Amino acid sequence: MAGKSRAEREALEHQNTALMAVFERAGFDHIAPDIIQPADIFLERSGEDIRARTFVFTDPSGAEMCLRPDLTVPACRYHLSHANDPATERRYCYLGPAFRFPDELLSPQEFTQAGLEWFGAAKPRAAEARVLKLTISALEAAGLSRYRVTFGDLGLFSALLEDTDMPQRWRQRLRHHFWRPAAFRDLLDSFCAGRGARRTSISPLVDRVAEGDALALVEAEIAGRHLPLVGGRELAEIAARLSNKAADRQETPLARAKADTLNAYLAIAGEASGIDTAFAAIEGGARYEVARADYAQRLFEMEELGLNPRRFHFAAGFGRELEYYTGFTFQIEADTPHGPVAVAGGGRYDNLLSDMGSPVPVPAVGCAIHTDRLQAVLA
Amino acid sequence: MTTITLAIPSKGRLMEATAELLAKAGFTIDRLGAERGYRGLLKGLDGVEIAFLSASEIAQNLRDGKVDLGVTGQDLLNEKIPPDDPHVELLVRLGFGPADVVVAVPECWLDVATMADLDEIAESFYERHGRRLRVATKYHNLTRRFFAEKGVTGYRIVESLGATEGAPAAGIAEIIVDITTTGSTLAANHLKILDDGVILKSCAVLAGRRAALADPRVVRLRELLSGIT
Repeated sequence: MAGKSRAEREALEHQNTALMAVFERAGFDHIAPDIIQPADIFLERSGEDIRARTFVFTDPSGAEMCLRPDLTVPACRYHLSHANDPATERRYCYLGPAFRFPDELLSPQEFTQAGLEWFGAAKPRAAEARVLKLTISALEAAGLSRYRVTFGDLGLFSALLEDTDMPQRWRQRLRHHFWRPAAFRDLLDSFCAGRGARRTSISPLVDRVAEGDALALVEAEIAGRHLPLVGGRELAEIAARLSNKAADRQETPLARAKADTLNAYLAIAGEASGIDTAFAAIEGGARYEVARADYAQRLFEMEELGLNPRRFHFAAGFGRELEYYTGFTFQIEADTPHGPVAVAGGGRYDNLLSDMGSPVPVPAVGCAIHTDRLQAVLA
Repeated sequence: MTTITLAIPSKGRLMEATAELLAKAGFTIDRLGAERGYRGLLKGLDGVEIAFLSASEIAQNLRDGKVDLGVTGQDLLNEKIPPDDPHVELLVRLGFGPADVVVAVPECWLDVATMADLDEIAESFYERHGRRLRVATKYHNLTRRFFAEKGVTGYRIVESLGATEGAPAAGIAEIIVDITTTGSTLAANHLKILDDGVILKSCAVLAGRRAALADPRVVRLRELLSGIT
């Protein structure tokens, strides 16, 4: 359908007025971030998967611009351009169109997103609980009554990883792969294998690097084989990586039991308020215990706000789809005769504003509601 | 009974091999109209029309429902039509026109052997140079699907419609995804295929629309061509 009829438009506006009233009454400042955004933040932050679905074009000066595929990054840009000190607490909400090429699920290419972003909140657990509460209140105000809430907690996983004894560069690589379960498992296995790791076409060279000077070897190899230097990487960079690979072989392999612990944690799922017994069965260290206490604190804050966590579902692996989240993540699915339909999601993303140029760290938590989908569910 | 349409490549090696294959199955192709008409009839099986199309358009024509069957490269089919497409299905791998779609990187990247290496490099490349690694290719969808499956995300695709293997030397991209038969073009350009960088072992295929699969003419063609290859 090329557009909405008057009745459809009015129904969506009516629903969204109800959503926004909840956010505004809670003291969130209703802003209108730009629709047209510089493309690089989205593309460089998200990689090819989002790029493939983003409408990108070139302005007359040659700059790459895009139609926003989401409103979180535009709200962050708004904040950075308006706040004198980005770490000062600000609470924003918004309502407006976002644009994505349809994926294989045939979602619409333009849709209206409602959401809120809370920057610099002093009490992180209370803010997370409040964002979840406001999301649920908004959905209920619009008429949604049957839904399920799932959440995850990347803070627990990060803490467990920090508590696990291994070289820091291994941790970085594992964290980078958190989002990709299969790659994560393979990497973990390779750390356990130690010297017995699978050999590749460059293993013979790594053998030689282990014995000598990496840079000299790389230079001799390039000169000897008359290889042109293309691809924009320096020899020093290439040599340093070969040295790391040689060093990896000298490291004590990761104990299988430690790897099993990480995998066991990631497999945890169940009713959110009773899940602590599963957390307790995981052998973590001091940081993990702090993260467990944070989790308990968050549940407490939810109850304080009148939410019932016994109705919520926790999954340790939840959030693997959403790359910029750093802590609490959640999703709300409407129950429909055709199965669950995701209508809202959100979470904590403490690194995004720094990545976008903030000179100081800015804690951030937010949510987004897919209003067209919600309307379709309620229709 | 209405006719069904079989699309075959309009020129080149694929067209010749397809004509030979149909001849082996006992059919000949009657081109209609002028010498180089783009329509024809399959003699030996009533009610089958031939559409001569460029190999790269056949998948799209299948997807759009403009033809019922098509012979094309598996690389082109998989690029245009996702594996779980509800309307179009690969029916027979015909065997001719073998070629691999591969991920290749500069040979001077002595520290890179696998897709996992590429993923690590992507991170440090971004930190050092402030931009993403670029992959030159005409296979956007195959590349995206394969890289996602291998857990590599920090890259960008740049369009390449010809001489893809020259992109790294020209400074247009660092990596390529391209089709290769012997690998000699890659070697001549000082590029190497990653150990786990074969995206697809392609050859010519017969594909068809699911809605047409029960048609007796389609059943017969499918049987005959499966028997030969």
